[in-house]
Amino acid sequence: MAMKLLHNDYLHLAVRLFIGGLFIYAGLPKILDSMEFAASIYNYKLFPAPIIGLTAAFIPWVEVLAGTALVLGVNARGSSLLISVLLFVFIALAAISAIRGLDIDCGCFSGVERKANWLAIFEDIALLGCAFIIFYFDQGRISPIVLIKKVNNPMKKEASS
Amino acid sequence: MKDIQAPTANLISKSLTNQTRKVFSWDQTIFDSLWIIFFTILFGSVFNYLLLLDTFNGTLIPEIQERQLAELKSKAEQLYPGISFIDLISAKKLYDDKMAIFLDARTSPEYQREHISGAINLPIRALVLGEIELEKILPDKGALLITYCDGGECDIGLELAKELSTHGYNNIFVLGEGYPSWEHAGYPMERP
Repeated sequence: MAMKLLHNDYLHLAVRLFIGGLFIYAGLPKILDSMEFAASIYNYKLFPAPIIGLTAAFIPWVEVLAGTALVLGVNARGSSLLISVLLFVFIALAAISAIRGLDIDCGCFSGVERKANWLAIFEDIALLGCAFIIFYFDQGRISPIVLIKKVNNPMKKEASS
Repeated sequence: MKDIQAPTANLISKSLTNQTRKVFSWDQTIFDSLWIIFFTILFGSVFNYLLLLDTFNGTLIPEIQERQLAELKSKAEQLYPGISFIDLISAKKLYDDKMAIFLDARTSPEYQREHISGAINLPIRALVLGEIELEKILPDKGALLITYCDGGECDIGLELAKELSTHGYNNIFVLGEGYPSWEHAGYPMERP
């Protein structure tokens, strides 16, 4: 039953839309105010200035581009791989901060207070599970791009149904 | 004619369905990821060139600290009107002239790790809970007091100043930059 669910195309679509939308929502404000995001990274007190600057300049774009790719159903496997790497890093950072007892905002979502604590780690692990479902099980059979292709090529639609 | 066409259509249909089942390939996955990384570098460099300039000019951290200090002062104006801030250089001058008492608002373990040389630890939580006999530690209510904490988003130095003012102390300043800037400037620190 569980395996059947994991192979369900509609589940893949839902997970892609959820993760993709979430990462677009997380990334866009960071692009618009990159200095604010740089300040969030600085608060971790772990990184030198060049790492802070490069992270603040590029990570939000990974989030938005990978998120958009997931929503559209393009490059889904590559996008979920990148998002998984990001989530691994977020989990590690939140764990280090929680162990050090730092009471700081995780900098995940602009304007939403979310502390870098064990709850954030738990949530990120759940998101990592979703990214794994896309990475391992998703065949990309249902997506806006596939639908557009089917509309433009009705013969293929009939043949595959 | 129709009988011949039906199995042929089924075969075509099965073949197309199999074609849509993608075979996992690490090479393809990494290639897909590299596309996103390529556009990330392109867009990130164009949209955030000012941030990258700050990074390579070495002005990023001072800008972040300045921004966070401005936010802290704005918060103080809204929540704790009447609390004054002191800049790092003025605080150092008072320190050198031994005219001020420095108060560390952080927790005891944090204070033990490192603190401004000669500073007294007054954890805000302990003070609020009444675990500290303030009059014993600071008998002179008119003494010049400078509170500090971690800098950045940390506002417990501000809260300590507010708490002290409610206890009747009237000459309090907050070192908004906190101990990291003090340390960065190479001013005296204690690491037991």
